Formats: sequence, structure tokens, C-alpha cells
Amino acid sequence: MKKSSILGIIVIAIAIAVIISTYSNTSTYGSFNDAKETQSELHIVGHLNKQKELFYDATKDANYFSFYMKDNKGEECKVVFTGTKPQDFERSEQIVLTGQMRGKEFHASKILMKCPSKYTQDKVEITEFKATQASI
Amino acid sequence: MDTDFKGEHLLPGHLGQFFVILSFGAALFSTISYYFATTDKLNPSWQRLGRIGFYLNTVSVIGIGACLFYIIYSHLFEYHYAWEHSSKTLPVYYIISSYWEGQEGSFWLWTFWQAVLGNILVWRAKSWENPVLTVVMLSQTLLSSMLIGVTIFGERVGSSPFILLRDALDLKASTPIFNTRPELYKNYLTYITDGNGLNPLLQNYWMVIHPPTLFLGFASMVVPFAYAIAGLWQRKYKEWIQPALSYALFAVMILGTGIIMGSFWAYESLNFGGFWAWDPVENASVIPWLTLIGAVHVLIVYKNSGHAYFTATFLVLISFVLVLYASFLTRSGILGETSVHAFTDLGMFWHLVVDVVIFLGITIYLLVSRWKELPITKKDEETYSREFWMFVGAVFLGLSCFHLIIVTSIPVWNSMFGTKLAPPADPVKHYNIIQASFAVVVTLLTGFTQFLKYKKTDVTRFFITTLIYLVFAALITALVVYVTGVYRLHVVYILIMLGSVYSVLANAKILSEAFKGKIKLAGSAVAHIGFGLILIGALIAAGTSKVISENVSGEQYSEDFIKNKNDPRENVMMYRNQPVKIGKYTATYVGDSVAAPNHYFKVNYKMVDAAGKVTEDFTLMPNAQANRKMGLVSSPDTKHYLFSDIYTHVNMSNALTFEESEGKAADAHDEASDDSKYEPPVTHEVAPGDTIRFREGYIVLKSLKKDVKVQNIPLKGNDVSVGAELEIVSNGKTYTAEPVYMIKGGSAFDFARKVEEAGLKLRFSKIIPEKNKVEISVYQQPESQKKYIVMRAIQFPYINFFWAGTIIMVIGFLLAIFRRNKELKTV
Repeated sequence: MKKSSILGIIVIAIAIAVIISTYSNTSTYGSFNDAKETQSELHIVGHLNKQKELFYDATKDANYFSFYMKDNKGEECKVVFTGTKPQDFERSEQIVLTGQMRGKEFHASKILMKCPSKYTQDKVEITEFKATQASI
Repeated sequence: MDTDFKGEHLLPGHLGQFFVILSFGAALFSTISYYFATTDKLNPSWQRLGRIGFYLNTVSVIGIGACLFYIIYSHLFEYHYAWEHSSKTLPVYYIISSYWEGQEGSFWLWTFWQAVLGNILVWRAKSWENPVLTVVMLSQTLLSSMLIGVTIFGERVGSSPFILLRDALDLKASTPIFNTRPELYKNYLTYITDGNGLNPLLQNYWMVIHPPTLFLGFASMVVPFAYAIAGLWQRKYKEWIQPALSYALFAVMILGTGIIMGSFWAYESLNFGGFWAWDPVENASVIPWLTLIGAVHVLIVYKNSGHAYFTATFLVLISFVLVLYASFLTRSGILGETSVHAFTDLGMFWHLVVDVVIFLGITIYLLVSRWKELPITKKDEETYSREFWMFVGAVFLGLSCFHLIIVTSIPVWNSMFGTKLAPPADPVKHYNIIQASFAVVVTLLTGFTQFLKYKKTDVTRFFITTLIYLVFAALITALVVYVTGVYRLHVVYILIMLGSVYSVLANAKILSEAFKGKIKLAGSAVAHIGFGLILIGALIAAGTSKVISENVSGEQYSEDFIKNKNDPRENVMMYRNQPVKIGKYTATYVGDSVAAPNHYFKVNYKMVDAAGKVTEDFTLMPNAQANRKMGLVSSPDTKHYLFSDIYTHVNMSNALTFEESEGKAADAHDEASDDSKYEPPVTHEVAPGDTIRFREGYIVLKSLKKDVKVQNIPLKGNDVSVGAELEIVSNGKTYTAEPVYMIKGGSAFDFARKVEEAGLKLRFSKIIPEKNKVEISVYQQPESQKKYIVMRAIQFPYINFFWAGTIIMVIGFLLAIFRRNKELKTV
């Protein structure tokens, strides 16, 4: 057999191994209900329940932040994050959590939030508007 | 629309838009002309037309840039781009950065570099000019079309930086007053007093040079691609390799530098605590770099041995297609929820897809149609030849790139196949392990391939040298791994250390030979040494970085912490002037300084040896901006030592306000609201010499002073004023204060004094003559009112290898480019 064919076989084998390992490493998007049934970490997409309390008090524990999130199926759950409260969290429109359930709380190891305002500002701030209105 | 708007400056926008259209038209015209100049060689006027189109394009690209600069510089907020990406307080040098905050500006940057490279090609390419510039201008045409922003058949093509604010946004919908009083609408500009401002994270000097470097790298990848296409198209299968090689080396060097600059920026000013996070946007820039670096190696293989022609051509071609694919990934919004800093969709999704498909189509068409004519050798390479193992190395680079593509494109697979896969839950670990495995192979190859010769090598000698160096490398690795603590990591990291050390040693041998006369070899040896050092530095710094701000005081443990001990507690809270133990340091948040819009937190680090002597003392100033649009945006500060870095980042603080960052002074508060910031006062009856204790220290009444002057209040007759000289010791620091008690015109006043640093307010509230004592009221700030910061400190050992490796690698590339340019004799 030619060396190039051997090399070709090795390359294909590694490529397949890469795909399989990637596939087995991928996590899944799920809901809080899915999280209750599994032990493994998963991603949950949802949004912050702004009516309920966001708890972060650096004077008590600088590494404890909790809030309530509704997943895309509408189910709500308390989320605990070990770390500081991400800046501007209240303004987030969508949150992606990575983590798992511990008892009745979802413990997030990673929070990714999308604040569309950060990238596409689609509104002229009303506050600015009012501030200058008086000058006319 | 018939409204006659007041106060708009439409000329620069119209001019800019004219240049946008002209640049597209000229690029298209030039592409067509160069195409016919290539196919119809007898008619020289085609080439002239092609050049005219080309120069027109260059001029209009510069024109676009100038108009955009004028608009941002003059704060013409009637333009959406200026409004969205700049503000009046933005310093001039950051206007440059606001160019690439938006997609339009970064597309412009790309067209600009492509125009510059085109000029070099027109000047240098000689007989290659026509076919090569056909390809370059085709790419330029497509890029220019991204900026058009004109609606055709109901679909907006591209996105122009010259769109007016009132066209881009529905002002009437967002500001109700324009509906109730439509007559105000024509004066809308008077309400828009300032722009949104530049994202504070981009207000960093690295952001002024990182994007231009990166985009020069992306833009220069079109040149080797164009040569390869031209070679296949014109059936000059062998000739294109030599000129393309220099440009490929240049592209690899610049793109590599740009990527590392990005990681340096991330390290210096982002808060994720590191220099690499495998974010899809980072991956997207590495993907084409990996294939092109593979391509460079097989191009050299082909040049020296005639082997690996197809691999070389294919890698050169696919690299550019992957650049386009990378820009599709980051700009189409498809990464969506997997990336923090990808752009959102500007309605260019399909436009970007078309761009990729066109160049992929050309690549496939030419490779298939010319397949039978390609100079592919039927002969097998020798096992003990340099070309064979260089080829293997290139293949492994390709495989590592393949893995990056597969994982980064997960959102693409989801949208193509309707699956719902999520990226790995711990992406950093996933990437690190797999990419490290490839790196082990690649570094070992860059090592022992140096001992092989092209065509045929003396096997015994080869094995002897290889083994000697391997043993030597193993010894050094064992030492390094032991000293730095890398041995605690996954075994693959130890192997990568071995590979890197081996590579550095083997190439150092080549370099020493280069000094003895074979100067040609220096470039590759230096570049490989640099690459090895980058890996060593990255491995130690990332692998053994340690969060030293772990909360070990025991004070702030909540119930949850006791329940699950494994959670990383990386943030520590520090009250002002209360020292906290951080690693081997004693850190204190000692104060703030403000240079609007930045607020600097002064964090002092001290190291005290056993004898109580201060051995080290430095202050870091991590900063933050309170931005109304983006909240608190903070940047770290880092203490650089030769062998390690201390990285400090403030996550939260109650010490800064929006007003302050906007340059306004906080209002002075009236007395009542001032007192509310303190706990209820505690009164003490004391005589001179007595001590008052409070939570963080004690106060000594030194003496009472008569007839103290308070500002300009005149004292007459029976008026009395007494000052209490107080010495305050709080957290080991001494302050003085002198509150005053005054009887003027029969009524008593007192003048309180504050010691902000200690969070105290002191009043001399009464004189008690019968006891020969005075009453001092002590107001303490409650813990929650006291200034605090929540910060994280990380120690990165040996990170300087990483940066030094980068510089060495760039030098290596430069040497290689000089060498290849010398060999180059273009006709």
C-alpha cells in the first residue's frame, strides 16, 4: 500500500474521531423540566422575571447572586450563580444559562446575556428628549 | 418625504454615498476589464480600462473613509453611524476605533486594505497583473456591495454608513411627542444632543491598532488566493507558487500578529480573566490562519521536491474561502447565543452567503476542470524525507482547523439540519484537550523534521540526533513541568510541553547553523522557536493561572457555600482601607481617582516578609466607566513581573455614579440627607487625653483649642469657639480632624468634620463645664454605605513567554519573507 493511502486512512480516522468527540461533547438546549430529569449540564434559554427579586448583596456574600428566570416554555425557576451580578443584568432581554439543577435551584456555571441595546440601539432615549424640551 | 428638516448637513453624506456607489461601480468595471484583458491578450486597452477602474475604486474608497471621518469628527448625529458609535466626549484618537465598532466601518477597512494591496500588485505583479487583479477586484466588488445600502426589489443590499438617523430609526414611533405635535418633527435634531458613544471596552489603545492589523491579515489572504486562481486559470501551474509564497508568508505573519494583539487586548481590558477563551469570534480568525500556515509549508514542499501540489493549491484556495466563511459566521448573526461579541444581523445574511458561495464555486470549478492537467506526481515520497513529514504536519494543521470549524459552526448545523445542539458545556476544556492533541503532533514535527533533508536522509544519523535531542528535551520538560506545576494538569499538556521544548531545541540547533553561514535557514528556525515559546507560555499561564482573590476569610460564607464546597469563589469584597489577604499579598482598596469618563480604583498590594519588612509595594488602578447605555463597564489592571503577572479586575463597586462618568460633579447634599448616610451617632463624654473606641479603631482627644477661626465668621464679645483636636487611628492609619463648637450671639453652633477615608463624621456637640468634659458625637458610616469594591485577582505565571514568542515568530516570518523575496524573479 502506498504511504499516501495510509496517511489518508489515518486522516479519515482522525476526522471521524473529531466529529464523534465533538458530538458527544455537545450539550443540549433544554428547559428547567429537562434539567430536573438529568444529571448533566445543559443550556437553558429564557428571560429574566423582572417582577421577582434579584438578590445580590456584596456585603453579605460577594459570590452569591440569585434571580428567577422563565425558560422558553414558560416555566420559572430560581437560579443561583456563584459570582458577582453581571453588569446591566436587569436590562437583559434574553439569557442563556449553562448549569444543572441542585434540589429546587438551578445552579448556573455560566450566564450569557443578550442586551440588544448594547449593539443595536433602536430608540432615541426619551430622557434626553425631555431634558432639552424645556429649552425651547 | 416633504418635511423640511432643520439643521441637517446632507452634503458629506451625499458625497459619501456617491463614493460608495462609485467604488462598487469602479470595482465591477475593473473586474470585467481585467477579465477581458486576461482572455483577450492582444488588446492592451482592456488592461488600461482595468487600471482606470482600479484607481477610481481606490480613490472612492479613500473618499468614503474621509467622509465618514468628517461626519464622526464633526459630530453630525443626523447620521446613524455617528450617532450610534460616537459621542461628543470621545477623544479624537478613538474616532478611529469607532470606525470598527460597526460592521460598515470594518467592511470599509477591509476594502481599504484590499485597495492598498491592489496598488502593490499593479506595481509589482507584471505579467500576473491581469488575472490576479481580476480576482482581487472581484473580491473588492463583493466587499463594496456590502456598503451600498440601496433597496433593490424590496430587499436592501448591504448597509451604508451614510444612512440618516431618521431613516434608520423610526423616530416617530420611539418618541411619542412627534405624533402629538408633528410640527416639532422637522426640528428633531435639536433633541439629539449627543451620540450613543463608543463601547468603553473599545476605548483602549489596542483597539486602535488591533482591528487594522487583523483586517490587513484578512485582506492579504486574497493575494495568494488570486495567484492560485490565476495559475490554474492561465494554466501556469508551477509559476504561481513562487510569487504567492511571499504574500502567503506576509498574510500569515500579519494575521497571526493581529490575532495575538486581540488576545493581548482581551487580557488587558476585558474581564474574562485570560488571553484566550475559544469564543467563536476568536476561532473564526484562527481558522483561516491554520490552513494558510499549512499552505505555506506545502508550498515550500512543492518548490523543493515537486510533491504535494494539490494539497498546496487546495490549502491556499480554501484559506481565502474560510476567511469569507469566518466573516459570514461573525457578521450574519448566526452565532446568536453562542458568542458574546458577534455582530447582530444587519440584513446581510444571504449577501454574505453569496460571497462565500461565489468564491467556493470558482475554487471547485477550476480544480475540477483542470484536474487532469495538474502536475501531481505519481511517485511516493521517501519516508525519511523532509517533504513527507512537512506534508504530514500540514495535514495535521488542516485537521485541527477542521475541528475548530466543526465546533464553531454548531449553530450553522442547527439551522441547516434543524437540530438543537448546543456547544460543549465547558467549551474551553473541550477545545483545549483536542487542540492540544493536534499541537503535540505539530510541535514534534516542527522539531524532528529539522533533522531531515529533502529527498533522502541518512537514516542512522537522523535517528541518533533525533533521539539525543528528544532525551535532552525530556529532561528540560521534566524540570519545567516540576517547577511550574504543570504536572498537575492533563497528560496531554505535559506532552505538548515536551513537543514545544523539543521544537525550540531542534530549531535552536538550526539557528546556530544559520549563524555559521547557512543564513537562509534562519527565518524558519526563528519562527518555529517563536511558535514553541508561544505554546509554552500559553500552556503555563493558562494551565497554572491561579485565582488569588479566593475568599478564605470565612466572614462572607453563606449557607450555600457550606452546602456545596466546590463552587469557585473568585471574588473578594474589600471595604475602603480595610486590608484583605490575597494570596501572599495584603491588598487594600485605598481610594479612587477620577478622570472622566474613567473611574480608577486604587488597590494597593503589599508583600510583607516574616520579619515584618515590606518587600513589595505597588498600586494597581483597575478602572470602570458607568455608562448609561451599557451599565458599568470595567477594565482590569495588571502588574507585570518578568515571570508572572498579577491581574486585578473590579466587578462591582458602590463608589461610582453615572454623573461622575459623565463629567458632572455629584450634588452637594443638605445636612439631613447627609446624616442619613451614617448610622445613628454615638456620643462620648471625654476630657483631653481620653480615648474613644469605634468599630475600626480609636480616636484620641489630644487637646482643646480656643478661639479657632471658622472660615470668615467674625467673633465678638462673648462669642466662644473651641476646636477639639482629634487623632483618629483607623485600620492602622492615622488621620486628624478638628470639629469646632461655637457660641455666637447666645446660640450654639457646631461645625462637624468628616474623615471620608475612615467613613467617619465627628461633631463637637457639647461642652459640659461641670464635669470638665466635652461631648464628641461619632457618626459611622454603616457597612453598606461604606465604599467598597468587589474584585478578582488572578496570577498568570510566565505569560511573558507567550508575548515574547509572538515577537520572535514575527521576526522569523520577516526573515522568511526577505529570503523568499530574494529568490523571486518575477517576469
